[in-house]
Amino acid sequence: MDAANTLAAPPAGTVPPAKRPSRVRASRRTADRSLRIACTLATLLGAIVLGSILMMLIVEGVKGLSPTLLTQPTPGPGSEGGGIANAILGSLVMTVIGILIATPIGVMAGTYLAEYGRASKLADVIRFLNDILLSAPSILIGLFVYTLMVRPMGTYSGWAGAVALAIIATPVIVRTTEDMMRLVPGTLREAGAALGAPPSVVIRSVTWRAASAGIVTGIILALARIAGETAPLLFTALNNNSWFNANLMGGVANLPVMIYQFALSPYPNWQQLAWAGALLITVTILALSVIARVVIKPQRAR
Amino acid sequence: MTTLTDQIALADTRSVARRQGPSRGGDAVFRGAAYASALLVLLVLAGILGSILYGGWPAFREFGFGFLTSSAWNIGTEQYGALVAVIGTLASALLALVIGVPISLGIAIYLTQLCPGWARKPVGMTIELLAAVPSIIYGMWGLFIFAPLFARFVQVPVSNLVEGMPVVGTLFYARVPSGVGILTAGIILAIMIVPFVASIARDMLDQIPTILRESAYGIGCTTWEVVRHVLIPQASVSIIGAIMLGLGRALGETMAVTFVIGNANRLSASIFDPGSTIASRIANEFNEADGMQLNALMALGCILFLITFIVLIIARLLTRRAKVA
Amino acid sequence: MSNAAAIAAKGAVTQPAARAGANAGAPVRIAVKDLNFYYGQFHGLKNINLNFHDRQVTALIGPSGCGKSTLLRTFNRIYSLYPEQRAEGQILLDGENILDPKIDLNELRSRVGMVFQKPTPFPMSIYDNVAFGMRLYEKLPKSELDARVESALRKAALWDEVKDKLRQSGMGLSGGQQQRLCIARTVAQRPEVILFDEPTSALDPISTGRIEELIEQLRDEFTIAIVTHNMQQAARISQFTAFMYLGELIEFGQTNRIFMNPEKRQTQDYITGRFG
Repeated sequence: MDAANTLAAPPAGTVPPAKRPSRVRASRRTADRSLRIACTLATLLGAIVLGSILMMLIVEGVKGLSPTLLTQPTPGPGSEGGGIANAILGSLVMTVIGILIATPIGVMAGTYLAEYGRASKLADVIRFLNDILLSAPSILIGLFVYTLMVRPMGTYSGWAGAVALAIIATPVIVRTTEDMMRLVPGTLREAGAALGAPPSVVIRSVTWRAASAGIVTGIILALARIAGETAPLLFTALNNNSWFNANLMGGVANLPVMIYQFALSPYPNWQQLAWAGALLITVTILALSVIARVVIKPQRAR
Repeated sequence: MTTLTDQIALADTRSVARRQGPSRGGDAVFRGAAYASALLVLLVLAGILGSILYGGWPAFREFGFGFLTSSAWNIGTEQYGALVAVIGTLASALLALVIGVPISLGIAIYLTQLCPGWARKPVGMTIELLAAVPSIIYGMWGLFIFAPLFARFVQVPVSNLVEGMPVVGTLFYARVPSGVGILTAGIILAIMIVPFVASIARDMLDQIPTILRESAYGIGCTTWEVVRHVLIPQASVSIIGAIMLGLGRALGETMAVTFVIGNANRLSASIFDPGSTIASRIANEFNEADGMQLNALMALGCILFLITFIVLIIARLLTRRAKVA
Repeated sequence: MSNAAAIAAKGAVTQPAARAGANAGAPVRIAVKDLNFYYGQFHGLKNINLNFHDRQVTALIGPSGCGKSTLLRTFNRIYSLYPEQRAEGQILLDGENILDPKIDLNELRSRVGMVFQKPTPFPMSIYDNVAFGMRLYEKLPKSELDARVESALRKAALWDEVKDKLRQSGMGLSGGQQQRLCIARTVAQRPEVILFDEPTSALDPISTGRIEELIEQLRDEFTIAIVTHNMQQAARISQFTAFMYLGELIEFGQTNRIFMNPEKRQTQDYITGRFG
């Protein structure tokens, strides 16, 4: 890459231009320089936006940190103080249940695509639809789960929220599981089979193990993805300004919807709590994303 | 000791006649579970389509084709039409592409061609982290940080400048320069799709054989010429696929847009004016809606489903073909 | 010019005869009868007839693509992993036709072990690698499992190098050690036949020498078939040699005779290095 840069640098600079005119026309050099500047600016812009988002969260979020933040539930309209403990717990519970539903299904479906289906027509179709589901609007998934669960049950529930999150997480896990299992060399499978191990044993004790770092990365990425999802929770778990029922029926407080409602509210203490929640959730998700990238590294090096 | 175990082993070698294999049942169950899980993916997608079709059907029956062409959204008289939301969705997504794609390509080119080796990892990571920021945070940033600045430094001066001029005088005139509106939504969406499009475009550029690049540089091309005549044509199909993928995201994005689009049911020729998208309207009204309003929102969902899935299918077909080639 | 002289002049074979004399009287362990093999439409093996004798090393030689690996891969039916590959004819292992669809493939593979071209340690500890096959088929008490693992590692001449790090990953060993680990893993299952598919082609000369010695020793217990590109290796370690070309078995016989006095023109051309 560096070699390419030196090649591209106009050689004219080393020769006195007065004696020998450069063969690179000025217009070419201008175009080149503009491209370099534009590309650098574009990248800079990305970095500035990220920096500005983090700055905003830190400045506003730190103001919202208070001793009661992690101990008290969200306050009702017009009442003072309060915390976001119920929203944190609700988010945690729904995210964990969502991942617990999505992981076995996602890993097994990915295994089917990588090991059993391979080149079959059905596997092709499923792979294609999974890719589409991967970037489907999350609000539609909210509508689906509303029709599937909230309506028949007659109430919002944490279960509906968890299912909606699971539907978003599954395609991520399917995709990474399949990709990572395909990276496992075929000779390893043959070696397993040559010892008389049936396919399911080879998959569980050889292929999964060899692909484990990548599969775990996929699960962490899915976790990061659903932890901040708001739209699908709006119609499934909704929100609640008190501790939710242990059976997760009725509205279940959660950080994203709490942030949405409180940030746009007229009450200063609600806005403060929204900022604190936003800081908390963003830091968590960015940390998960960084962890996922660190986990995947040894896999690539191999 | 060892010799003893060796002797046992030797003696046994011949005597192993029939071996008891692991149970066959476990194998079939495992395979069945994998198969069922894969089918579930199909089922979920069918379920999404089925549920919103079911919910939206009464609205389609009531309003017929007029649902698409009507700009009414009147809860009192129960008159609903999709036009404003559909136009808002398309306009904000297209603005996002117009703004976001050049930035994405610029970042991809910077990361693959210009960035010094040591900076590649941290810069790449920064861009990837932009994709991890939750959409609601973009919404807050857009509403509380970006919109005031945008109103003060863009909307007000531009409105003053173009006031009274033909065409641009309508297109870029803000009646209420509050900072929110279709263009703001487009800008925020652009920022949100940049990391996705940039990372795919970057992978595509990285896949181009080095020899091709080196031979172009070898005949004296500048970076611009290499990019323009060698890299972009090579990767064009897959980059278009990446752009479509970004479009799919922009069309269905909900929370960020809901914060910054203004949520008005009004057709306006100015991109500075507030509007609404399908997703933002559903997010805003669904929980309070019942009866025909609920059906109309579901019907909006159907339209969104249709638009995004067509776009995503095209995107996947394009990126897929590129991989084979 | 005699063949022997030709070989000696080329330096192709340093030790023209195998160390141990071939025992043509040894009972037949595997009998291949009219074997045909297809990769989809491609006819990979044509009417192969061949016997493998008990506790002898049989080498399969021939130029790339001649079908020698394909033949080897029919003996444990590992090709069955790929739906487009099929075999016709008979392969009798102790009189039982293993191409019979009713045969239990997993059981067959526990009787016919295989060592691959590249080392294939599983992503688990050295101990678990060796115990992998045993755990599938036998419920052994811990003490006996330990003894069997040790015995297998000793037979693979690896014990002294790994006895202090049995719990470490098998991926951390050197290439030659990994290959011996794979041999130990195969031996531990006490198969009747061991198939070697170019086991040394990815290894350095010193590791290659150790593996060859090992195969020599394993012959006391196991019937061995080995595919090799290296004619010196075939001459050094095998008692019987089969020369294959374009999917056909050209010539089969005792290694001494194949190398000293081949009957077919093609065999002579190949072992003297005129093609291949």
